[in-house]
This record gives sequence, C-alpha cells and structure tokens, in this order.
Amino acid sequence: MSKDPMIRRLVRRETHSSRAIPSLVAASVLLVAFLWLALESVLWMLKDQPLLASPAQILRWLEGLPKTTIPAGMAAAGAGLALIGLLILGLALGRGRRHRRALESDRAAVVIDDDVIAAAVSGRVRLAAGLAPGQATTTVGGRSVRVQVRPTSGRRLEVESVRKAVDGELAAYGLDRPMMSGVQVLKEGVVGQ
Amino acid sequence: MRNTNRALNRLLLTFLGIVLLGAGAAVIAAGTLPWAAELWTNTAQGIREQARGLVATAPLPEPIRGWWLLAGIAVPLLGAGLSAAWLASQGGGKTPRLAEQSEGSAGRTVIDAGLVSTAVREALSGNAEVLSTSVSAWESRRGTALHIRLEARKGASPKELADTVEQLLGKMDAWLGHPIPALVRITSGTRTQLSGSRRAR
Repeated sequence: MSKDPMIRRLVRRETHSSRAIPSLVAASVLLVAFLWLALESVLWMLKDQPLLASPAQILRWLEGLPKTTIPAGMAAAGAGLALIGLLILGLALGRGRRHRRALESDRAAVVIDDDVIAAAVSGRVRLAAGLAPGQATTTVGGRSVRVQVRPTSGRRLEVESVRKAVDGELAAYGLDRPMMSGVQVLKEGVVGQ
Repeated sequence: MRNTNRALNRLLLTFLGIVLLGAGAAVIAAGTLPWAAELWTNTAQGIREQARGLVATAPLPEPIRGWWLLAGIAVPLLGAGLSAAWLASQGGGKTPRLAEQSEGSAGRTVIDAGLVSTAVREALSGNAEVLSTSVSAWESRRGTALHIRLEARKGASPKELADTVEQLLGKMDAWLGHPIPALVRITSGTRTQLSGSRRAR
C-alpha cells in the first residue's frame, strides 16, 4: 500500500461505493414529497381544490388510521416501512466495497476489477498445466481466489504446479488485501484434444 | 474520482433510515397494541388542535389568514431546497485542465487533459492487451488527478498492464516536469461487466 495520502485516498474512493445512487433516489423522492406538500399547503390556504389531499385531510386521515385499518394491514405497512429503513441503513453503514482491488505500485493508484484478476489467473493456470480454454475456472471473492480445474482425461495433472502458478501470480500483484487461494480438481475430466 | 461528498451521503442516508425504521415501528405498534393506538390518535389530535391555536395567534388579513400558515408553506419549501442541494452535491469535478502554472506577468501555462489523453492513447495503441483507453482529469480540493481507464483483453496480466502504464507515467512526469497524481483503473470488457460475475474461464 502506498504511503502517499493522495494515492491512498484515490484507491479508497475507487474501491468503495460513494452511495451516489441511493442518495440520488432518496433525494429525488424527498424533493417531490416536499414540493407536493408545499403546493398542497398553498392550495389549502387559498381554499382551492387539493391535488390529492389537503394538509388538514392528511392529518385527519393519520389520526384515524389505527381505527380505520385492520391490525394486520397496519402491521404489514409498518413492516414494509421498517424494511425500507433497514435497507437504507444497511447501505449507509455497510462497507460498500466494490469488486475491485488495488495493486502495488510506486507511482500511481492502480485499481483492478476482480474479473480481470480471475481471467488472468485462469490463463496462468492453463499455461502452467497445459490445459485448453474452459478447463480452468477462477472465482475471485472478497478474500479468496478459488480455481476449479477440469483435467484432461488420461493425463496426470500436477496439482502442485497449478497451486504454485496461482500463488505466484497473486504474489506478483502485491494486492492490498491478502488473498487465500484454493485449487479444486474436478473428478470428471474432459476428453483430450 | 468524483467529488461526491461521501460522508454527507452516509450521514443523510443513516438519518433517513432511522426515521423510516422509527415510523415503521410506530405504525406496527399502533396497529397491534391498543395503548399505542390510543397514544397515536391523541398525539395526532393534539397536533391538529395546536396548529389551529397557532394560526389564531398571529393573524393576517385574508386570504393568508396567519403567519403560521406561511411557515407551513416555508418548511416544506425549505425541505425541498435542502433535498435539491443534496441532489446537486453528487458527482462533479471533471475538468478539461490538467495543470496550470502562472508566472506573473510572463504569462500562464495551461496543460489540457486532451493532450495527455492523446499521448496515452497513442502510446497504448500498439498494445494488443489493451482494448480501449480513456483518460480524464478530475479536480478536488486536494489538487487535480489523472484518471486512466484501460479495458484489458480477457486473460491479460494486470501486473504487466500496470507496469506498462507506470512506465508511461514515468515518461510523462519527465515530459511535463512534475508528477501528477494518477489513478489507473483496469477493467474487463463491458459485456462481462454487465453480467455481474467475477468468474472467468
């Protein structure tokens, strides 16, 4: 990880979500709701017809809500509201990590998508074990890299060499978070070409 | 790279989440507990009566009737204004100017982001591992930074690409005279991005 605070900041901002989309949605909904309330208030003050409901009607409706609605309906509506609230809280307080990670670099903040790493590891494994495209599948998770190898039937697969290739490739990247690697060799092979 | 105020987004979303959670809990309680339903009705009644009383305290001639009614319009308008400000605080910061140096009366030197963009594109055009390049400059309080985005061919080694770009940046530092903070983002093709999977064969 770079020592330069500017580079560190660039990496941090690129690998974590800014929550811009939930914020845009929330702000838009709030904006519309507030504008509607203001408009209704003006219409009510001028004793004009309300668009949907006047402020007085809204208050009266709220007041009678427990009496006019069945308990199950109230509970369901409340659960829905609370669920949306929880979802927003989760978005706000969660880590918001994106599927990217930083690569060691002296000069710049280098951030790579996880699927680029997956494709590169698959390619490296194929090269090390002499496999055809499609025989090695790599999944990059938060802290782990899992490689699934489908061997060619009738040919011995050197698991150690595959493991070494994966670890060597990952070590070369110098990723900011340590990654666990795992190699799984499937029982069924493919017919050799 | 955008100048979105992330702390503000988190704070406001947290606040909104707590408010919605509280409202949901109140509605559930009012629907299932008799004493909560009574409390709910009494509170709403109290608010209505208080509002009626307030309108009479600061009267105005027709058709406005009262200062508090004006306040009742001003509060939602204020809320709308704050929401619009929140909306406007998202993103921003892209600049066509990468660097600028003023030498008093001797003049000013401005480096366009387009110059660096063309240079990077030209330098990487022969690289078979790079499908496309985009370069932009972003401004923040901490200074201007360069954003280089590479679309890598499937299976390309990210380390090699990063080294290539690093060398390129080294040359550019020598060319421009002083290093510019840079963010290099290596992505896969757009098609794989859309599928949302981090798996690769």
